[in-house]
Amino acid sequence: MSVRRRFPAGPDVSVDELVAGLSAEAVAAPLRVGDERVVDFLVAFARKLLAPATARRFPELASLGFFLRRGEIAKVLAAPEKAGVLRFPRGLVFHVPPANVDTIFVYSWALSALAGNRNVVRISPRSAGAASAVVDALNEALASADPVVAQTQVMVTYDRDDAVTAALSAACDLRVIWGGDRAVTEVRRMPLAPHARDVTFPDRASFAAISVAGWEAASVRERREAAVGFYNDSYWFDQAACASPRALFWVGDAAGAEQGREEFLALLGEVLADKGHVVEPAMAVQKRVSAYGVAADGHARSIRFDGNAVATLELTSAGDVPREWLGAGTFPLATLPSLDALVPMVRRKDQTLSVFGFGQGELERLAHDLAGRGIDRVVPFGSALTFSELWDGYDLLSEFTRLVTVRA
Amino acid sequence: MSVFARPQAERETALLAELTELTAHHRERCEPYDRILSSLGTPTSFDSMADLPWLPVRMFKTHDLKSIPDDEVFKVLTSSGTTGAGASRIYLDKEAAAVQPRQLGATLREVLGGKRLPMLMVDTVGIIKNRRSFSARGAGVLGMANFGRNHVYALDENDRPDVDAVKGFLEKYGSEPFLVFGFTFMVWQYLYEVAREHSLDLSNGILIHSGGWKKLVDIAVDNAEFRRRFAADTGLTRIYNYYGMIEQIGTVFLEGPSGNSLYCPEFADVIIRDPDTWQEQPVGRPGVIEVISTLPRSYPGHVLLTEDLGVVHGIDDGDWPGKRFSVLGRLPRAEARGCSDTFSGAVA
Repeated sequence: MSVRRRFPAGPDVSVDELVAGLSAEAVAAPLRVGDERVVDFLVAFARKLLAPATARRFPELASLGFFLRRGEIAKVLAAPEKAGVLRFPRGLVFHVPPANVDTIFVYSWALSALAGNRNVVRISPRSAGAASAVVDALNEALASADPVVAQTQVMVTYDRDDAVTAALSAACDLRVIWGGDRAVTEVRRMPLAPHARDVTFPDRASFAAISVAGWEAASVRERREAAVGFYNDSYWFDQAACASPRALFWVGDAAGAEQGREEFLALLGEVLADKGHVVEPAMAVQKRVSAYGVAADGHARSIRFDGNAVATLELTSAGDVPREWLGAGTFPLATLPSLDALVPMVRRKDQTLSVFGFGQGELERLAHDLAGRGIDRVVPFGSALTFSELWDGYDLLSEFTRLVTVRA
Repeated sequence: MSVFARPQAERETALLAELTELTAHHRERCEPYDRILSSLGTPTSFDSMADLPWLPVRMFKTHDLKSIPDDEVFKVLTSSGTTGAGASRIYLDKEAAAVQPRQLGATLREVLGGKRLPMLMVDTVGIIKNRRSFSARGAGVLGMANFGRNHVYALDENDRPDVDAVKGFLEKYGSEPFLVFGFTFMVWQYLYEVAREHSLDLSNGILIHSGGWKKLVDIAVDNAEFRRRFAADTGLTRIYNYYGMIEQIGTVFLEGPSGNSLYCPEFADVIIRDPDTWQEQPVGRPGVIEVISTLPRSYPGHVLLTEDLGVVHGIDDGDWPGKRFSVLGRLPRAEARGCSDTFSGAVA
């Protein structure tokens, strides 16, 4: 039952030792919400992520670096407090992030550390690349950090071992499970202490929508920026991130949508060419298998391939929209007369709607019509993958803290 | 009558007509197949073999595709997928189940002659005894067993080389032509190594083998080296590799007598496609292998894009007429960097 210590780098430890070292009693000067010692450490860490060599190799780490700049942290911590309501850390938080989005665990952990928690993060043995760069940057930043950081913040790697997961689950006050339905179900089999609870991030599906009227009103430059944003949202994680759009809806007049689609596909093709986007043959085959499959099941009226990079499917009916991953750059399309038409299709599973050309008012009306049944965030094109402390319907800083009320 | 007699142009004319009819046949009987072709705007007549619509072979893992009614299903073949994407399901009616061994036999007759020969199986006797773990390998062994007689297995039930059995086989049958069958890496590991160590004489053998070179490439043995060492160390020179898959059961692409090229029986063909444009590659340019065969009538598997890479070396310029080609390896798997279901149990 021993685990590999990634941060602070060190020899393997037994899980019992690990838990004992993280107990509240082991820390002389406990962390507070927004503790300066943590803020300083995160800022130093962010600077390392933004170093040109790292940022060039792993652009996703640059976004993380921006998220952790001092000014951004101050904004996250600036939540207005009510008189007589005091906010405290939850205690020990156990994070179980996904294996192949290398940066999620850092967001989850950083917010929890800002909330003043002691944290133990399980980094998957299958993670590589960006995750290793993160761990290196953390260890480097430790040199100038207050010792309390090394005492309270731990990242470990261990292979499939129920005993370790069980021990950490039993010891924590809050457990954060990323990585989809199966991961959530599996980890949930391990009991928590009675007062503890889970924050879970199950499988999600996301969509994009363009207003036909908005498209028609947009300038050439705005249209091109929309294509760039859509490219980032879709292709950055091979369209497989929960927030990447799985389908594109055109909302408005059908004839206008026809014309808009052609323009949009042409612009997207230009963006892909500019970025030098390369499609591996295996991915190209995967896209054929998926797209043909949607057609075989009777959900696509036509399939079109613009090279290997873009596949578009005309859905038989918008309600049949596939939520599963169809390969990087595969977009089922449908035209809806109005945003209302989206309402009956939306399910609990649906997370992000990336939008172009709509007004704040009509989007808020849509949110009211959905009434929290699905779609947790509506964001402009290009922001689908931008992490926020408000995620999947949670205010994470609230989840990571507890409130004490005092009235004399 | 040889199935390796038709030159390419003549073969293509005959095949194009048959495959056009077959495409219409499947569209009429297999609704999902028709939906795919309709969504692609596929026409009903074609100017060339390369214009025929292909299905990715993995479609048979994700969908049940058959062109026969449920009550005519006689046999369902399944392949264990190496990609973890599940198994292919191939539906045969009585007629299809009868055609495929017949055509396989016609293909192998070219190198085996008309008589059943004594047969040395380079596999464990357990592979056919143990029906519980009846695998694709077992099915292959069993299918091939029909082409020989007096079978002897080179491995015992515990997967250990049974040198006495092989020696006994050779004493009895080694002085006249005999058939050897096995999967390429097993033939190397359990026949070549054993024969060399015990100085066995395999010069009257005819070896038929398949299954890919991946494990042998790791120890730097390619087809040419395989043939050279067998000839030098055991006297075995009649060696025929073949390429085939369960999704086109009954169709095998067979190595010619001089080696290093696979040939198409006249009811089949291959096209190599550029993985960027999906256009046909010229001779000598590698790409993704599409396999074509007129055998699949009970399921729409007559034109399939494989996940193998290959190259056509020449046309009508080898041991037998038609295209000659090699398999170069597999396409690497497509893996996404998503955030859902990435654990598959690795955490708990």
